Amino acid sequence: MSPFELAAPSSIAEAIALLEEEGARPLSGGTALMLMMKAGVLRPPRLVSLRNLGLGKIETGGSLRIGAMTTLSALERSPEVRNGWPVIVRTLRRLSNVRVRNVATVGGALAHADPHMDLPPLLSALGARVKLVGKGGERTIPVEALYAGYLETTLRNELITHVEIPPLGKRGAAYLKCTTRSADDWPAVGVAVVLGDDTRIFVSAATDRPTRIAGEAAIAGLKIEGDLHGSAEYKKHLVRVYLRRAIDEARNAVH
Amino acid sequence: MRREVQFQLNGRDVSAQVAPHESLVEVLRESFGLYGARESCGQGMCGCCTLVVNGTAVSGCLYLATLAEGARVDTIEGGTELDAVQQAFIESGAFQCGFCTPGFILMTRQLLDEQPDPDDEAIKHYLSGNLCRCAAYPEIIEAVKLAARKRRKA
Amino acid sequence: MKRATQSTETPQVGRSVPRLESWLKVSGRAEYVHNLRLPGMLYGKIFRSSVAHGRIKRLDVAAAQALAGVYRVVTSKEVREVIPDPYYGPAFHDQPILAIDKVRYVGEPVAVVLASDPHVAEEAVHLITAEYEELPAVYDEVEAVTSKAIVHEVLRPAGTFPDLKHLKDRKNTNVALEFRLRRGNPEKAFQDAHRVFEHRFSTQQVMHTPLEPLVSVAESTESSLTIHTASQSPSFVRIEIARLLGWPENKVRVRVPFLGGGFGAKLYIKLEALVSVLSLITKKPVKISLTMEEQFFTITKHASTFRIKSGVSKDGKITARECEVWWNGGAYADIGPRVTQKSGFTAPGPYDIEHVAVDSYALYTNLPPAGALRGFGIPQLVWAYEGHTDLMARELGIDPIEFRRRNLLREGRPQATGTVMKDAALEKVLERLETLMDWRTPLNRGTGTVKKGRGIAIGFKACVSPTTSLAAVNVNADGSCIVYCSTADMGQGSDTAMAQIAGEVLHMAAEAITVVHSDTDVTPYDMATLGSRSLFHMGNAVKLAAEDALNKLNVLRKELGLPADCPIPDIFKKKYGMQAGNVSGTGSYIPSYKSPDANGLTDNATPFWMVGASGVELEVDTETGKVGLTRLVNVADVGTPINPKIVETQISGAAIMQLGFTLHEKMVFDSQGQLRNASFAEYKIPGMLDLPASMVNEAVVAEQKSGPFGGKGVGESGTFGVSPAIANAIHDAVGVRLTSLPLNPESIWEKLK
Repeated sequence: MSPFELAAPSSIAEAIALLEEEGARPLSGGTALMLMMKAGVLRPPRLVSLRNLGLGKIETGGSLRIGAMTTLSALERSPEVRNGWPVIVRTLRRLSNVRVRNVATVGGALAHADPHMDLPPLLSALGARVKLVGKGGERTIPVEALYAGYLETTLRNELITHVEIPPLGKRGAAYLKCTTRSADDWPAVGVAVVLGDDTRIFVSAATDRPTRIAGEAAIAGLKIEGDLHGSAEYKKHLVRVYLRRAIDEARNAVH
Repeated sequence: MRREVQFQLNGRDVSAQVAPHESLVEVLRESFGLYGARESCGQGMCGCCTLVVNGTAVSGCLYLATLAEGARVDTIEGGTELDAVQQAFIESGAFQCGFCTPGFILMTRQLLDEQPDPDDEAIKHYLSGNLCRCAAYPEIIEAVKLAARKRRKA
Repeated sequence: MKRATQSTETPQVGRSVPRLESWLKVSGRAEYVHNLRLPGMLYGKIFRSSVAHGRIKRLDVAAAQALAGVYRVVTSKEVREVIPDPYYGPAFHDQPILAIDKVRYVGEPVAVVLASDPHVAEEAVHLITAEYEELPAVYDEVEAVTSKAIVHEVLRPAGTFPDLKHLKDRKNTNVALEFRLRRGNPEKAFQDAHRVFEHRFSTQQVMHTPLEPLVSVAESTESSLTIHTASQSPSFVRIEIARLLGWPENKVRVRVPFLGGGFGAKLYIKLEALVSVLSLITKKPVKISLTMEEQFFTITKHASTFRIKSGVSKDGKITARECEVWWNGGAYADIGPRVTQKSGFTAPGPYDIEHVAVDSYALYTNLPPAGALRGFGIPQLVWAYEGHTDLMARELGIDPIEFRRRNLLREGRPQATGTVMKDAALEKVLERLETLMDWRTPLNRGTGTVKKGRGIAIGFKACVSPTTSLAAVNVNADGSCIVYCSTADMGQGSDTAMAQIAGEVLHMAAEAITVVHSDTDVTPYDMATLGSRSLFHMGNAVKLAAEDALNKLNVLRKELGLPADCPIPDIFKKKYGMQAGNVSGTGSYIPSYKSPDANGLTDNATPFWMVGASGVELEVDTETGKVGLTRLVNVADVGTPINPKIVETQISGAAIMQLGFTLHEKMVFDSQGQLRNASFAEYKIPGMLDLPASMVNEAVVAEQKSGPFGGKGVGESGTFGVSPAIANAIHDAVGVRLTSLPLNPESIWEKLK
């Protein structure tokens, strides 16, 4: 890994100012970032740690309000999340491994923009919104609006500070993924479904970003490329199969 | 640029000179001669580098040593006697080359702290992030269950 | 820690003694070269070729050399100042320590940066630039036979294989070796056969990925060298390094503590020559510790293509078999020629076939080198012949087990080479498998989208021969015992097994015995820890050494006029007047062997056979092609198990490893020979969640009469039948036959849709 400087600001304003500097990158859990730095893919001269910004709280009261620095483990263990949004806990159980979940954060998981990840499509389907803070002020956008493409976000030197998830209520929800090699693998296909008056379905992994579809008919039009997990044709087929299975599971989900 | 980092290591207050890019595994080896945590896959997927920081298991090869400032770090070398998990691993023959073993033991301790009586499914899920190329997995599952029984007896 | 009593009447063999090194491994204190740090040590990081085949036009290391903290950058130019002819290899001296003039695969080492901070060394590697004149490359093993892309201009067989001499100076070919076997008259037998079947199978390139990646450290004086290395073959390392330097063997010392896995990757020369020459150049200790990624560019398993043809009589007997096997050896031969020959002669399978033709070719290609990997070519062969067996059985309408039973080699019958089968419990293993699989009970394959199926397969291996093992056993003045042997404990439990064998002879508890790890200044010669040979060869040597020590003690007793049951400490007290002295026993074991003739025939091909069979029950999700194993049964013939618990875990571990090679693992290259998945993120080995729902592992009751206390090796036997058993089960479930590995869901779905 190439040498770098590590800053640990104690306010969001300070953090944003530090991130204005050329090449500086935010450090949340550090899992994805460390991997890219070790591989030499990223060589930032400065990392800005977000751990002292007080963004680690989970608040409920109708909606679920999660500070961006909340670890995935904390989310997995939260009784409020288990009761109100059990699909999140079920999904986290199969997300990477325990050690990763112990340090990876919700904000980091959303900001990395790797389409193979589990939280972006699930939170998109749940209608979650993220609060962004930058030099120009604050704004709130739906999770799916974060993504411009593979590893590309629409963030303009902004930090995700919170994620807000509306109540799930009695709506059926499911997230299914299909791995084509060992069980602990990046998925070939991920499908998140939340049923209701406004059914929300998001396809991921096979697409370059979480992509909303209205139903099976839209699958033919999805832009899917082949890779080590499968050919484009096979992945398209898997999307069809897993969409049907996710809808079934969502229908049968018991709260 | 090296900076002094102070933390608690296996219950004792220590300090080390650390460069920002050095991982916790590197610092434990270079400055403290502790080799139980090993960098193998380098990607946090195999668990050979497992360390416990502030009571939670982390991948030491991806954990910047600087971030251990003020933290409690526990390694496999901590403790003076073999605990129930270590004894269970021995009795169950739950290792072959031994390279992944410290990682499995630390993860098993965490698992049993959280779930004192896990079934096979719970064990497999919790340990899915620890790889063993010798494939001692079946014996490891038995060892975890044996350790759970030993802990209950004590 | 409880001290075990030294003398005991409890038999040590047949005991499931917990591994002697248990405390070390569970407390994280076991010694691995991965952990080794020496004062003043430099770390080496390797700059590697980015083209698959090319002449090196320019190599620019100036910027790397100038980086603050870099000690030195070394290329083949500096290497040749120390070693003028720096080519090594067990079969061919074809591999340069650092690339000279040409590179032959993407990832080949071209230069090394040395620094006391490994991060600095790594940074500097990125500053090295090279320009290549690209040459046409070849990647496929069958294509390599006729390809105009020639990997090595001239062949350079080493002296170690006497039967390669005729290949010296051979030019313009990628065929490094051809093994040929002919018995009877296959052509006529095919003409006379009732039915003739022919199939083609292939396997993929994979990597061992031991969790302790390859690592070596060398320290030197002006006339001696110590190499600390994670190696399964310390004696070979000593001989080969001494040869390269033109030094006597006694000036090269090779030390091996525990290995964090080996599986065949850590054999012959990997990093040892490089660290040695770097230490001699810098006069400092030098360590090169590969990353997981770099292992893929160092040594791998042969991909293969196997064309197999059989003639079958009306009553379901195989009368003729023709085997053509192409082994993809990659850019350097490593031990590929031995795989080609020694596994090649078992290509016809464990079947009693009168007329046999085998042609087995070792090919050079522009891929990372292939060498020994658990099974040593056998899994690739069994993959083909057991798929072929099943296809024939189906066609003929004969039950797969019954068809095998009709044709299996029995005790006393000659195998394809003409060597008579002895102590190979093929029939017993097949029978036991049939019982454990409940084969006679019909299986309900299901009517929904998930279909069930089951399959079996049986394979065998001839232990490589002739090989030598020596051991020494010391009994100390207090009666305690030390065993010295150069077998490397890489997790297979060899330390424990050797202690049990010595303990059995000396009536001592295995736990009380100390086993000294490989140190070529101390432990005697051993061919290597490979091919499941150590329990048999080194076990016999240790047994002989312990018997020699016992004998010497008895002689001493007599000389000193002491009674036959006099305790050992009293012998020494009487002899030396105090607690002093020791008795040294030595043992040397090399089995008899006869070289094959020009037709590949010999009546003494091997000192023992290994047998392994697997049965699988699985489910196929016909909507996705995904396979889930509900049951995996592995049965092996290991002779008399020295340590039953360790034997069981060896069968199990080998089978699970082979599961990975069957279902998940494949090195994927692009059209330029670049590896696309050299990391655990994209090269998936089995984890906890990949285990079959249920596993049974058994060793049948058997005896290897020439083995120590009836035992023989087990490390590889669990690999033999797994792949074809799964393919046979998939065929049983959904009627889809896959003939190349790995068996991924898409390839099943492709055939189903």
